[in-house]
Amino acid sequence: MYKKRHLILLVIAGLLFSTFTAAPSHAQDKPTIAAAKCAAPGTLTMWVWDEVWQKTIKKSVDAWVKEYCPGATVDVQQHPFDQYWDLAKTSAASGDLPDVFNMSQDRFLEYASNGALLDLQPYWDKAAIKTDVWGSGLVNPYRYGDKNDLYAGPVNWDTVALYYNKDLFDAAKVAYPTAAWTWDDFAKAAAALTDSAKDQFGALTYMEYQGGYANWIASNGVTPIVDAKHTQCTLTDPASLEALNYLKGLQDKGYMPKVSIVGGSSADDAFNFWSSGKVAMVSGGSWKLPDAVSKVKFNWDIVQLPRSPKTGKSHAILHAVGYVASAKTKNPDLAANLLQFLVSDEGQKYFADAGGVAPANPAPALQKEWADSFGNSGKNIQAFVDATKDSQGVTPFGEIWNTMNTDLVVNIFDLGMSVEDATKKACDAIVPFLNKH
Amino acid sequence: MRVFALNHFLNLFGHTPLARRRALWGIALILPNTLGLFFFFGLPILASFFTSLQDWNGLKPAKFVGLENFARLFTDSNFWQAFGNTLKLMVFSVPIGVVLALGVAILLNQRLPGRNIFRTLYFLPVVTSTVAASVVWTWIFQPRYGLIGNLLAPLGLRDLQWLTRPDLILIPVAVVTIWQRLGFDMVLFLAGLQTIPRILYEAAIIDGATRWQRFRSITLPLLSPTTFLVFVLSIINAFQIFDQVYVMTSRTTLGGAGGSATTLAYLLYKSGFTNSEFGYASAIALVLFFVILGFTVFQLRLQRRWVYYESRES
Repeated sequence: MYKKRHLILLVIAGLLFSTFTAAPSHAQDKPTIAAAKCAAPGTLTMWVWDEVWQKTIKKSVDAWVKEYCPGATVDVQQHPFDQYWDLAKTSAASGDLPDVFNMSQDRFLEYASNGALLDLQPYWDKAAIKTDVWGSGLVNPYRYGDKNDLYAGPVNWDTVALYYNKDLFDAAKVAYPTAAWTWDDFAKAAAALTDSAKDQFGALTYMEYQGGYANWIASNGVTPIVDAKHTQCTLTDPASLEALNYLKGLQDKGYMPKVSIVGGSSADDAFNFWSSGKVAMVSGGSWKLPDAVSKVKFNWDIVQLPRSPKTGKSHAILHAVGYVASAKTKNPDLAANLLQFLVSDEGQKYFADAGGVAPANPAPALQKEWADSFGNSGKNIQAFVDATKDSQGVTPFGEIWNTMNTDLVVNIFDLGMSVEDATKKACDAIVPFLNKH
Repeated sequence: MRVFALNHFLNLFGHTPLARRRALWGIALILPNTLGLFFFFGLPILASFFTSLQDWNGLKPAKFVGLENFARLFTDSNFWQAFGNTLKLMVFSVPIGVVLALGVAILLNQRLPGRNIFRTLYFLPVVTSTVAASVVWTWIFQPRYGLIGNLLAPLGLRDLQWLTRPDLILIPVAVVTIWQRLGFDMVLFLAGLQTIPRILYEAAIIDGATRWQRFRSITLPLLSPTTFLVFVLSIINAFQIFDQVYVMTSRTTLGGAGGSATTLAYLLYKSGFTNSEFGYASAIALVLFFVILGFTVFQLRLQRRWVYYESRES
């Protein structure tokens, strides 16, 4: 008996011992993604396209220099988005890409397949960072090659929800939308909120890809526009046609304004139109939150996009901007080290603080900090975080961007072309670019 | 040896030390600009000749393909559509623009109160950035909320989709082109009008010529060298229309629904910077160059029939 007890004690002691030795790697304060010291400082150039980000990234970079790489210098340059890609393209051609720069999911394959980007997988492996720490929608579009190497560190996520004007709802005595709303509920509310005498529209949700119609196609159960492997155009799938016809039906009844009355086919144009108080509900990105919080004059709130009656799901499009490094950088180790810091808990803290874009790093503390960064707004910001859970990554790519964002939208929602004709036309334009990457 | 060569070169400008020193200074003074012209205009132009013979996406190394880009050009319906759009815009904008500019110049050549203010006002669009101007014109043409829509509202045309309908889009583009060109042409005409000796008009008045006869028989013939210059420059300008189309369709159709507003210059941009086909874009640039050259040479020939140079006759 005594011996047996002895043995149990021994086992317990052994268990305790093994727990303690393993403890350092399971400690509570272990970061989700850790940063590391650089091997040797040097000079790097970095490009970003967003003015606000430039400041945030600069803070983060300064922290890296101070804490992890004293003596390093990083020149952070900002180029406006509409010039950024022309510049990137010509710089890639002449081999002058900056050491580290921002990349978007839709353009990634073009650069990766031309060998312009540094494969970061060896660096993730060396730093023992498992790349599935990020959600699949955030990183899968940045994988390339036979082994699905991860070429980018995700900076952020942004996704789409429904912004609504509470004042217009109150005036029309319509109940506020909920996350349980289906398309039918949405259509009924849009009808009740339309008042052509006052030049007031019920909804505006058909705009370009991420901010608009593609969310409805995704919710209806199809990967919008093209499948993930870029092998087929999905616009002519019955579920796509159904979603687009649903939206066109709302416009034909006068609940949604035409593109040229809004003044443009982009999500920004739609959001500005909504901000002017002329439309009750608009599909808008999480990137619009800072604007909405600071500039919108009326009462408003956010809710997840309505659910397709067919799938019972709301399935919003999610995009993650990435940091990539140039294949021709003279300092690959240093560039990778900076990148590792920028996506680490410490580096991402600055994004969470700044508000606006949600940090890609999934550490719960960071996500909460982001939501709290909008102050005591009382808005349902959690709607966006909820939307990320069941979301659709970006599958379309650069060459077909204009076809799906402008031609298709204008043809259906301004010039009144039938959904069947317009999608067929769009697919005809898209197919030649498939199976190329 | 090198000094000797320079001296030899300077001898071309004169044989006295003074003449050579002057020539040296002259060369030194034009050198910076000449170098700039060479590096920023000359080299790119030469480079586009070579690029037009290559298949180059801007990322991968270029591949020599001979005249393939040009062969493709002539069978590309987009190219012919853009060519047609460019010609339409030229036919719309050049005659109207030249006549308007002449009218304004004649008006502002008279002693009017506030003449200089009007001249400045008409010239302002020339020094305004086309991009900024096009943004404002986009608002003016916006259906429902735009100025034009509201002016035409009594006719039921408030919601007319000027900027998206393929059959209408060239009108706003032509309007902006004319509006922006007017001041420049006006200044050329004003300069031309002031070279016509007053004495001719005085003599004509004594002879009892009417206003129209004076305009027809004195102003028009003596202004014809200026008119010729204005035509040549306006036509070249019309072939290069880009900014207006780029801005006015940037938020909706990107070059017009179905390419209805795509000009040659816009197609060039699109081929190069949207589709990454720099070789093809360079081929378009070269064709555009030769078309403009052809038009200009044609006009130079035609001018003998209608342009009157005083000095040649006397």
